[in-house]
Amino acid sequence: MAKSKNNLKPALVLALLLVALAVLVIIFFTGGERERVRRRAEVAVPKTQPRAAEPAARKTVTLFFLSDDDDMLHGETREIAGGPSAADEAQRALAELVKGSEKSFLSPLPSETKIRQVFIGRDGVAYVDFGREIMDKFSYGSSSELSAVYAVVDTVAFNFKSVKRVAILVEGAEKETLGGHVDLSRPFSPDYSIVAK
Amino acid sequence: MLLNAFGRGFDSRRLHHYRILKNAFAYIVRETPAGRLVLTLVVLAAFARPALSQPSADSGARRGAGAAKRRTVVIDPGHGGIELGAKGKLGTLEKDITLAIALKLKALIEKNMAFQVVLTRDRDMDVAVENRSAIANNQKADLFISVHTNGSRQKSAAGSETFFLSTGATPDEETRRLAYLENNSSRIEGHVDKTSEQDIKMILWDMAQTAYIRQSSQLAEMIQGELNSLLGTRNRGIKQAPFKVLTGVACPAVLIEAAFISNPEEEQKLVTDEFQASVAEAIYRGLAKYLQVYP
Repeated sequence: MAKSKNNLKPALVLALLLVALAVLVIIFFTGGERERVRRRAEVAVPKTQPRAAEPAARKTVTLFFLSDDDDMLHGETREIAGGPSAADEAQRALAELVKGSEKSFLSPLPSETKIRQVFIGRDGVAYVDFGREIMDKFSYGSSSELSAVYAVVDTVAFNFKSVKRVAILVEGAEKETLGGHVDLSRPFSPDYSIVAK
Repeated sequence: MLLNAFGRGFDSRRLHHYRILKNAFAYIVRETPAGRLVLTLVVLAAFARPALSQPSADSGARRGAGAAKRRTVVIDPGHGGIELGAKGKLGTLEKDITLAIALKLKALIEKNMAFQVVLTRDRDMDVAVENRSAIANNQKADLFISVHTNGSRQKSAAGSETFFLSTGATPDEETRRLAYLENNSSRIEGHVDKTSEQDIKMILWDMAQTAYIRQSSQLAEMIQGELNSLLGTRNRGIKQAPFKVLTGVACPAVLIEAAFISNPEEEQKLVTDEFQASVAEAIYRGLAKYLQVYP
């Protein structure tokens, strides 16, 4: 009797500790700032839709490049594969922007830039998630940083009517700036005043 | 003094040293007989002081001391440490030029004006962009001047320009924010739940610079005028941009882009002592003109 009682006590304590641990683990994984978790999860959602089987319609988009003659952005049209979603098309348009101009314009983004994902929220905010190359492969001054940001913002907002504002993420997270200048903490409204007429 | 230790050394290393010192001090005071004796005396002295001074003059004297307090200008040399800023074709780094100009500007202001000058960095070191505005606010700065040299992908880009903040918020958003503040201002003092307290802090932080936009644009205009006449660089004018370093600053704040380090001709000028001195002189003269309008 006494022996079994002696054995029971540590076991009980152990069980209690295990329960407490389980509760802590549950709190750890389910608690916290729900807002942020949800937003990251949305951005990281993998594309479930496979590529359209039939040859998709082509879509003409306008990309915004720099010119060596003035400080303005210059539109250049390009054909890209259409569908399935606006986010996919936006990602393709940005890839063309990185690839560079077919005329003699300059690309505002480092040639190594990778676009991980584009997500367009119901509130009209497009989240463009870049790889770290956009930060690491160029030493930005104010001018080059402003043109990099607004070339992206204007390209996405101009071609996709559902997009009202554009947020820039790097490696799935919010960054202060690309190179020490332009505040990335809030989505940008497009600025067409810097586009050459 | 305590505030100084926090304000100037915002980097974590200094904060760490400060904590070690504080803990050691606390240990000596609490745990040793000599420490306890000193503590008792200090507490007694603190209680005795108000009794000795005249209570009626107290509040007035404090206000007087506040007005007589030397005003502070915070100069922010752009970038630093692992963050290089723009890079010139000949290898010149923006972070080095901005520091050189800032040090010259500090010397000029201290020599000729009754201002206390605080630098966000006085050597090549990392300072997070957010901490730069925090330093200004901790120091209760009256003016904030961020010094940069520009960089562009266009080799031909040249000239100088002065920025003040654009919030990027549409007028619509601004109205909504103000409405939110008005509707909730009575509640701010009382009980506020965690999330809306955070909202309010964000709104206040966002609006810190908004309240000074007019003065900031005036300061930018006067500095830009002097840059034009002293440097002989192309006038790119005053502009608004959503620059992170200006966002949270609670006083008039500008960001100067003196010439393009990415332009080889201007890069060669930027490395010279004379050109750096001219930039400092131009900012100083612009500041002096601003102070005639807003003394």
